[in-house]
Amino acid sequence: MPTVVLLDVSLSMSRGVDAVSPCQEEEDTESQILRKDLAVHGCNILLDHFIQHCKLEFASLIVFSSVYKVLMPFTRDFEAIKGALNLVDECDKTCIEVGLMGAAQHILEEWGNGTPCQVVLVTDGNAGTGQHHLQKSMMSSHSRGASQFPLPFPFPAKLNIVCIANPNEPCLQTSKPLYQRLIELNGEGDILVPEGNLTKQSVSEMFEHLIKNNFSSYSGILHCGSLSAPVTLSPPPQPYCRHHDFEIMRVSVDPTITVLGFLNTGDVSSPPAFSRHLVLPLSAKGDMVMLPKADAGSDDEGTGNDEGKIPSFCVLLHGGLKRENMVALSQVGENWYGILYSWADNKKKSNLMLSLFVPGVDVIPWMGKLSNLGPASQLPVNPYGPSDTSSPFPLKVHEKKSYALNSVVWVRQGGLQSDIQKILRHARKLPDKTQSFYKELNRVRKAALAYGFSELLEGLANVLERECTLLPPISHPDAAIQLQHAYEALRSHDRKDSRQNITPLKTTFSGND
Amino acid sequence: MSFPTSHKTVFVLDHTLTASSGVKLEMDSFSKCRSGSTSGNNGSSGPQTPNQPQVSLIPLLPITTSLWTCAVEAITEYCRIVWDIFPGTRLIRFIAVDKTIHKLSSWNGEDQNLPNLMNSFMALGPSKNIGVGKLDLMKGLRAAIEALTEPSAVQHEKRTSLTESATKVLNKGRIILVSKINTEDEIRVFKEKFHEALLHLNKVAAATDNLMAINHCDLVLLNLWPNGLACTIPRHTWPDVSTIMSCEFTNMQGGVSLAPTLCNLVLKHYDLASTTVTGIPMKEEQNASSSANYDVELFHPSAAHTAILRGIPSETAHLKTYREGADYETVTLKWCTPRSNASIELQHCSSAYRITSVDVNSRPSSCLTNFLLNGRWVMLEMPRKSGSKVISHMLACHGGDIYIHTMYTSRSILEDPPSISEGCGGRVTDYRIPDFGELLKANRLAPYPEPAPGSEGPSTPLEGSREHLSRHTKYWPITLSSTSLFTLGSNIDPLTSIMVKETITDDEVVECKQVILSLMSMEARGDPLPSPIAGQRGKGMKREDQYKAVWTELEQYLQMHLHSPAHEKVLECFMECHNKVATPEYKGDDKVDIDQALKELDDYNYMTEREKAEFNMAGGGTKHIPSDLIVPDSKRRHSAPPPLAPMGRSSGVSLLTLWENKVSSVESQPCYEFQGRSRAEGNITKLYVNLQKDKEKEDGSRKK
Repeated sequence: MPTVVLLDVSLSMSRGVDAVSPCQEEEDTESQILRKDLAVHGCNILLDHFIQHCKLEFASLIVFSSVYKVLMPFTRDFEAIKGALNLVDECDKTCIEVGLMGAAQHILEEWGNGTPCQVVLVTDGNAGTGQHHLQKSMMSSHSRGASQFPLPFPFPAKLNIVCIANPNEPCLQTSKPLYQRLIELNGEGDILVPEGNLTKQSVSEMFEHLIKNNFSSYSGILHCGSLSAPVTLSPPPQPYCRHHDFEIMRVSVDPTITVLGFLNTGDVSSPPAFSRHLVLPLSAKGDMVMLPKADAGSDDEGTGNDEGKIPSFCVLLHGGLKRENMVALSQVGENWYGILYSWADNKKKSNLMLSLFVPGVDVIPWMGKLSNLGPASQLPVNPYGPSDTSSPFPLKVHEKKSYALNSVVWVRQGGLQSDIQKILRHARKLPDKTQSFYKELNRVRKAALAYGFSELLEGLANVLERECTLLPPISHPDAAIQLQHAYEALRSHDRKDSRQNITPLKTTFSGND
Repeated sequence: MSFPTSHKTVFVLDHTLTASSGVKLEMDSFSKCRSGSTSGNNGSSGPQTPNQPQVSLIPLLPITTSLWTCAVEAITEYCRIVWDIFPGTRLIRFIAVDKTIHKLSSWNGEDQNLPNLMNSFMALGPSKNIGVGKLDLMKGLRAAIEALTEPSAVQHEKRTSLTESATKVLNKGRIILVSKINTEDEIRVFKEKFHEALLHLNKVAAATDNLMAINHCDLVLLNLWPNGLACTIPRHTWPDVSTIMSCEFTNMQGGVSLAPTLCNLVLKHYDLASTTVTGIPMKEEQNASSSANYDVELFHPSAAHTAILRGIPSETAHLKTYREGADYETVTLKWCTPRSNASIELQHCSSAYRITSVDVNSRPSSCLTNFLLNGRWVMLEMPRKSGSKVISHMLACHGGDIYIHTMYTSRSILEDPPSISEGCGGRVTDYRIPDFGELLKANRLAPYPEPAPGSEGPSTPLEGSREHLSRHTKYWPITLSSTSLFTLGSNIDPLTSIMVKETITDDEVVECKQVILSLMSMEARGDPLPSPIAGQRGKGMKREDQYKAVWTELEQYLQMHLHSPAHEKVLECFMECHNKVATPEYKGDDKVDIDQALKELDDYNYMTEREKAEFNMAGGGTKHIPSDLIVPDSKRRHSAPPPLAPMGRSSGVSLLTLWENKVSSVESQPCYEFQGRSRAEGNITKLYVNLQKDKEKEDGSRKK
């Protein structure tokens, strides 16, 4: 998940650690450490964690006071962010609203509104002089809903507020309810305060805690029958919690991902995915291995290459799926499924990807209930055919939709007119178009009966009668006979058999058809 | 959005609306249009002449529609949109009121479609004039409330599901009254009486088992006015009549404004949104060589727009325009000439929703929908404020329903991923990928017939597939260098495809035996084995060793595939054959003796070599299971994949295992070993072990 480190650079961040009680002499050295130094120290711990464990994540650095500034846009170059942290200037007052706005703006521009993100707000536990204003705008955001207040973020995001403050500081105590309110507004997140006094040690622990709860990577096992491989997913899969029509779904991804069977890529037909993850094989030691780019001739060097030479089921699975252009339907949690497939960012590099569906078995309508899919080879007749030419997918719907039904719609202008004109077009080509004429006639007649529109039947009969009288002398005798039959039938609509369709009259002329 | 109000809707229709809607249809023009066309056909030969007789004809009277017809036309269109987009999940019922109450449909799925609705309206017939004061719409509204208290199939299922959520099923719904309302007083009376009825019927429902009390009901009063007259009562909403009721009053006028008003309603009630696909190239009807661009408007759940609209409003303001006569906005997206191969690739989409076209019978609409129904996919392009463009949506048909897919438009966090070849196992080049491809095909999924209700077994077809897959992978070396057996190619066909089956026929047993026998004869003839392509393993190995390795592996393979007695027959055959080889006198060929001797000698040499190799590897960090633990060894093979023991398959079989196998196979021939002894540790067998176990179990359960 992309992470924004939102760093408070207000003047109060340049306070020493012991703002409350004048420090003892012996801790003089410690007290010279400024809060912003501790903040930078903590951020470095987080960034080091990324370097170590989350190489494929993105992070950005935004500083704020009464204005915000994007110091580092989203990047995987965490060292660069660490560098930028050292160059932070101190500015005026804390204005959290501005900072959150900046984070929201930056994330929206970069990732849109569908990518889950993390915002780590590092501040000194003092909501600042803008407090009153913040409170007011939070209230208004609650009452009006669509105000300019940045929370809740317009994208799924966790907001963690990290306080570089002594737990018993009075201003932290006053700010905390405010922080709490911010997190409630956002829906997800936490407030972190150091345990015990503010020291380098306690700040480190606090950040370790933050990492453990929010930035731990996924590690699991991919099973396919008796074959398996340890894998990690990048980005780590998020638990699913949403309201469906009749239930609330709460489910998270298990540490085992089980392949259940395979499907043709064309058959799954680009199903919607809740999230997508790279599946990366782990080494036996549980590490993610990234070998140096494959250069011709330069193998057998370095320790990483040993990992490259130990066969992994992931690579086999990827190769098979790519070769056959298939996907592997897999279960990732209780009632939660997804597909594994080979995916290429560009022509050269392809990788194993996992797309998670929305939890449930009835989530891809054209595949039917997922739990109802079974081995094709054990069906009485294999639906794929002997030479792979046929497919059981997509499942056909039972009821055709209106656009496939030639349904009657007269509520819009011209609908009825064009239906009558269609009848007349066919009427003028009688007897060649006898079948189409009666088909259209019955369609309109049926609708008129359903709509309680008997005047239309009379009117239509009149028009057909007029047509009959206007027939040119050279016309086929059957035309006049059929027209007369049709308008007479229309007029007798109130008889018992009104639901019966009008059928073409059998004539001596039509017998030759 | 849980328990949506739109799940259940009841229309209460005033079946006495005989008054004219003021909408006229000119019938005379249809005949005139004929004269126009004939004159056109006649070309320049005096267009006036054919027109002349018409002058003398009596003009046809225009026809007018009644308010009832307007109402039914509008309602069927409302339902068309709803059922196209939400088949089966949004239910609508109808109650018509004249002298009596006519219940036209139920919550059942088979009632929820247009043809059925048309039939019930046909059976109902045109509106009736029953005289002033005889109409009691409240009766209809009460019947509608009763209908809402009946659970739908989904509600019933959830309510009786015996899970913790069962008690939390909320029953919400909407009742739409279509009538002509003249005064504000009438509205007030409807509102009050309805609320009373709701409270009363909720009590009734709560006292029963099969009915559900209504948690919230939205009453919509649709006032149908004739065209031309101005409506005297303005639109009004009461969002909180009480905690369980909201109310809305809306005017609906016959004529041109009927359709837009209706769209407003349906969009609001079902949280739909509108997309206009612009720039669809279409051949002209008259002139097939030229084409013009058309627009088609579609409806779909508004969530399909979330991905592009939520966020910075100013960035997307240019996409939205108001529809003429309607108060909803439509998002305009541009048609992209479709790529032909789009459907076989996997497009990344975040959502897919059903759509319906707004003006379903118009030529551009049906052109677009037919294009999609024929299997073509259409990408839609969103212009960005900056001027750049991005594919934001895709229209595609799956099995007869058309969907709008939402594509990812922003930067992907998965950009520039490492290639699979850069990770673990990425440098191994002899994966059995073609064989794995066959495994994929053999484990392809297909929909099974729906289990009959009630007969649902504990295991679903999908779980069956998991077993299927695990049978197919019981013994599956993933690289060529770890197997001898699977390098044989056609020589072991069809044995490997037969043995993985759950049950095998006698014929198939014979086929398997033939494979074994033909391998035997190959060995006897001294035919070279097909050399593995990437195999270092074949290199420098003597032919006999190669055969030996194959036999060892084959035995192991057969041992793992004992799914049925028939499977065992194949193993028995193998064992017999093996012993035949081992029993020189049976061969009747003098050479064999020597061959055999040499072979055995080679075996030992070879094994020592392999042992050495293996030993070296083990030093390099491979997990090697001590070879004297045979049982754990085979267990390991079951659970752990070959990649963990890369040198596994061929070399993983130790000399001791081979030897023991041989001994046991020899021993198994003359007489079967006493079971107890074969399991014994140090020749001491505990008797009645099970008794002890049972006792322990009992103790254990008692403790619990």
